[in-house]
Amino acid sequence: MIAGLVQILLFQSLGELISKALLPTLPGPVIGLALLLAWLMLRRSVPPTLALVADGFSRYLGLLFVPAAVGVVGYLPELRAHGLALLAVLLVSVAATIAASAWVLKLLSRPEDKP
Amino acid sequence: MTESASILDVWVYLSGSPLFALFITLGAYQLGLLAYQRSGHSPLANPVAIAVLLVAGVIQALDMPYATYFTGAQFVHFLLGSATVALAVPIYRGLGAIRGRALPLLLSLSAGGAVSIVSALGIAWWLGIERKLALPMLAKSVTAPIAMGIADRVGASPTLTAVYAVITGVLGSILARWVLDWLGMKSAWQRGFAIGVGAHGIGTSRAFGISAECGAYASLAMGAHGVLGAFLIPALYRLAP
Repeated sequence: MIAGLVQILLFQSLGELISKALLPTLPGPVIGLALLLAWLMLRRSVPPTLALVADGFSRYLGLLFVPAAVGVVGYLPELRAHGLALLAVLLVSVAATIAASAWVLKLLSRPEDKP
Repeated sequence: MTESASILDVWVYLSGSPLFALFITLGAYQLGLLAYQRSGHSPLANPVAIAVLLVAGVIQALDMPYATYFTGAQFVHFLLGSATVALAVPIYRGLGAIRGRALPLLLSLSAGGAVSIVSALGIAWWLGIERKLALPMLAKSVTAPIAMGIADRVGASPTLTAVYAVITGVLGSILARWVLDWLGMKSAWQRGFAIGVGAHGIGTSRAFGISAECGAYASLAMGAHGVLGAFLIPALYRLAP
């Protein structure tokens, strides 16, 4: 498990370095993700200890953004004033997003892809 | 020393150390997971939403400033970067699902991503919602760990981005069925991909509950939306007037 964690921290550090030095618009961890993905595609398999750590992270991913989301206590007055409008925007927007991506797939699928 | 004074001493010690913030964060998330399991995996009983409400309630009740809470909870927050890098593994596993469908999938993702941004900012502008509250909607359909990195790069609040992303995931998971039925979508892979584009991780775990194929495509969509969003959203934001 430590070996998997070391690999992740290595790619994360590489990503942060590249982000700082070359690509400031890209978050370091995303560059790390892209590098790790490229490395996995080259070696054509996932090392078992990396898989162990990655699966642990995926399973409890939600926990990791709780501390940042709790910061919502700092926005309570604004959210009280605009909460319903914001909820309406998110609701319409996500329905439109799902509809748009589904509609494009339906439009572009070859006949043999259809059930 | 009286008993109440010693309890106060213990409290002062605990609330000043990271232990208390870590305890309520993990405890609240555990309660959220229990509620999610008890509800038969209802999207409305989202463990993150429950944990955020519980922790926010506790620190408000104790009059604990958010900054004090975060000093302790930052150890959990710090892992977000590593978790983002680790997303390479599920994305790599999902690559097999592309199988000659790369172009329709890429166009579908681009359409979904564009509609997500334009519809959210457009309606927010039309409703007169101020910029500070509207800008974090840019990345709301991107998986939260990556969305918060994007928010950071465009000067939007990572907190509101995470909150919008969770609400979007919950709403998308609930609405997807009706939207997709209404459009007459039948094949599992198309349904799964559309759910992943709109409702990222929360939609993906819902899609895995429908079928493995549906989940695999949702997972692929979530990963691709994350990576593409991280490349394009800050770049487009710089070009925008």
